[in-house]
Amino acid sequence: MSISPRVLNRRRSRTGTGRAKDGGLAFWLVIPSVAVLTLVIAFPVISSIIRSLFGDGIGEVPFVGLDNYAQALWGYNADDFWASTGVTYLFTAVTIVLETLIGLGMALVANRAFRGRGLIRASVLVPWAVPTAVAAVLWKWAFDPQGIINSLLGTDIIWTGSSVPSMIAIIVADTWKTAPFVALLVLAGLQVIPEEVYEAAKIDGASAWKRFVFITLPLVKPALLVAVLFRMLDALRMYDLPEIMTNGANGTATLSVLVVQSTLSQLKPGYGGALSTLTFLLIFVTAYLFVRLLGVNAVEQAGGRKGKKQ
Amino acid sequence: MHSKKRLAVTASTAAALLIGLTGCGGAPDQASDDGIGPITFASGKDLTGAMPQLIDMWNEAHPDQEVTFLELSASPDDQRTSFVQDFQAKSGNYDVIWGDVVWTSEFAAHGWLEELDPEKVASPDILPAAVESAKYDGKIWAAPFMTNAGLLYYRSDLIDAPPTTWEELQAGCEIAAANNMDCYAGQFAQYEGLTVNVAEVINSAGGSFLSEDGKSVTVDSPEAREGLQHLVDMFENGDINASGITYQEQESANAFLDGKVMFLRNWPYVYTAASEEGSAIAGKFGTAVLPGLDGTGISSLGGINLGVSAFSKNKETAKAWVEWMQSEEAQRVLVSVMNQASVRSDLYTDPELVEVSPYLPTLQESLESANPRPRTPNYNAVSLAIQENAYAALQGTASVDEAITQMAADLEQAIQ
Repeated sequence: MSISPRVLNRRRSRTGTGRAKDGGLAFWLVIPSVAVLTLVIAFPVISSIIRSLFGDGIGEVPFVGLDNYAQALWGYNADDFWASTGVTYLFTAVTIVLETLIGLGMALVANRAFRGRGLIRASVLVPWAVPTAVAAVLWKWAFDPQGIINSLLGTDIIWTGSSVPSMIAIIVADTWKTAPFVALLVLAGLQVIPEEVYEAAKIDGASAWKRFVFITLPLVKPALLVAVLFRMLDALRMYDLPEIMTNGANGTATLSVLVVQSTLSQLKPGYGGALSTLTFLLIFVTAYLFVRLLGVNAVEQAGGRKGKKQ
Repeated sequence: MHSKKRLAVTASTAAALLIGLTGCGGAPDQASDDGIGPITFASGKDLTGAMPQLIDMWNEAHPDQEVTFLELSASPDDQRTSFVQDFQAKSGNYDVIWGDVVWTSEFAAHGWLEELDPEKVASPDILPAAVESAKYDGKIWAAPFMTNAGLLYYRSDLIDAPPTTWEELQAGCEIAAANNMDCYAGQFAQYEGLTVNVAEVINSAGGSFLSEDGKSVTVDSPEAREGLQHLVDMFENGDINASGITYQEQESANAFLDGKVMFLRNWPYVYTAASEEGSAIAGKFGTAVLPGLDGTGISSLGGINLGVSAFSKNKETAKAWVEWMQSEEAQRVLVSVMNQASVRSDLYTDPELVEVSPYLPTLQESLESANPRPRTPNYNAVSLAIQENAYAALQGTASVDEAITQMAADLEQAIQ
């Protein structure tokens, strides 16, 4: 996403003949990528959509048109589907807010010059480096009724045994896991803000808070929005944490959990295909709206600035 | 920099694809017309390390029909996914598969398994309940290899005799309360273990889920309600600790091993851990058949059936191998080295084996009345319908009546 504007900028600066040559070569260089992408992305997506138009069962499967979609959207499984959609968006909204705030805080700390900064930067990244499945098992233990969370809080909550506590447990685990990712992207954004801007503001007598609100935030916004976009795409297909921590019980079955349950566990590739197509559409529309409302601007800004620097 | 990286990614993806492609075509074709020749046995992870011993025994005697051991994941779900993928590709890479008893119907219904001769793999020596689990549509589709049933572990230092009914169990709960212990633990998290436990109480009360042929739903009955009510009551009055709703096998076993609970429903494997030196309850516990509504209860049947792939190229060898795995010679290794329950009834009274595993006679008694879980090609959907609704009742978010009514509706949907 951040590549194309830069490439465009570079192209603009070339002469006409150079551009043509470049284009011809680029075409051939891109062919393998396009072929591989078609093979590994377009083919599965299209075959899953086609499969979703057929029924499930043993032997020859009948063509059922959009029945699988109807079953999910307003048929027998509508309750499950909409409950999953609801909880998926709930997880997405809450974790993004928490992760953005915490990640921004972490990045601001890590961006300061102080002794042991390298250590802080490295240790902040540890949760991100832990495989999600492993993190899920760790948090499952921590949230055990006899686990460390209850003994630290002095409570007796059965975290993975009822609805709201289960959701809190999953949100905590996800935030712990991916706030560092946001921090990393935001830190990259912070580092390209030139020191002179702050110095000028200081000379003009701007307070630390004002410098943050009027310099840091606007200049880091593009990076922040990209981080939020990535997190949104990721959170909307959350699978490992609910699958491992609650097995999808207590209303924590996200859309991905539902897809895997239908397709793999129950061997209903038709219905599962319909579910995954619906999930894909939901994510696509959400991301599209996000980019339309906020993101395009962000990409242009980020690209423009990088272009000038070159 | 970016484009370089991308190129590298493309190149490595292409390389990976190439490797994958050559890997598919590389297997030598060793099929022979008579169906005799080397075979591959795909099994779940062998946690005991004894499987190679069994395979060596066979290979020494049959050098021209060597069995190759292919160890899959330890997770049953992953094993099943591997098998299903192999079957769907009709590759025949796995000649013999090791499958949980509840998969036999599904695999057979899809035409993925070779029908086996009942005279050879379902002889009278084999426990009838295990044979039932290998049946689908009146035919035998797999060779029972390992079996399993639930046992009631109880604290023999606190009560004189184990309870045989739920009422007697209730009396034991008072003793547990007097000793500051929880009364009962089982597997009540929402997963396959919950299906096992719920099936046990519903079967023990005289209820069932599906008809014999698996084609109609029978759960909407007063008996099923009474069975589920028993568990709900125990949660409500605290006989099962509230945290019991998160227990899988290991958590429930730990509660018993730590001396925190009076009665435990679990598989025979807990016996070894409980009697080990250093165990807090060594010498203070006993095993019994599960209690029921009026008289002893009915356990769910666990275990492993060996199936011959319909796509195997050496089916005769594969069939001979699964028959040999049932032989007394092989089953003795299963009991004494792998510490698993045999499908041969004569081994339960063998004095040598009983000395090592004193729970064997109790287990045999439990196995005699054990019930396979609902047999249907749509087992996973059926199990999920049971889990979700029973779980809601145990949590108290649905009444027993609502849960059973909804379970019946969901089961109707699941078996379609």
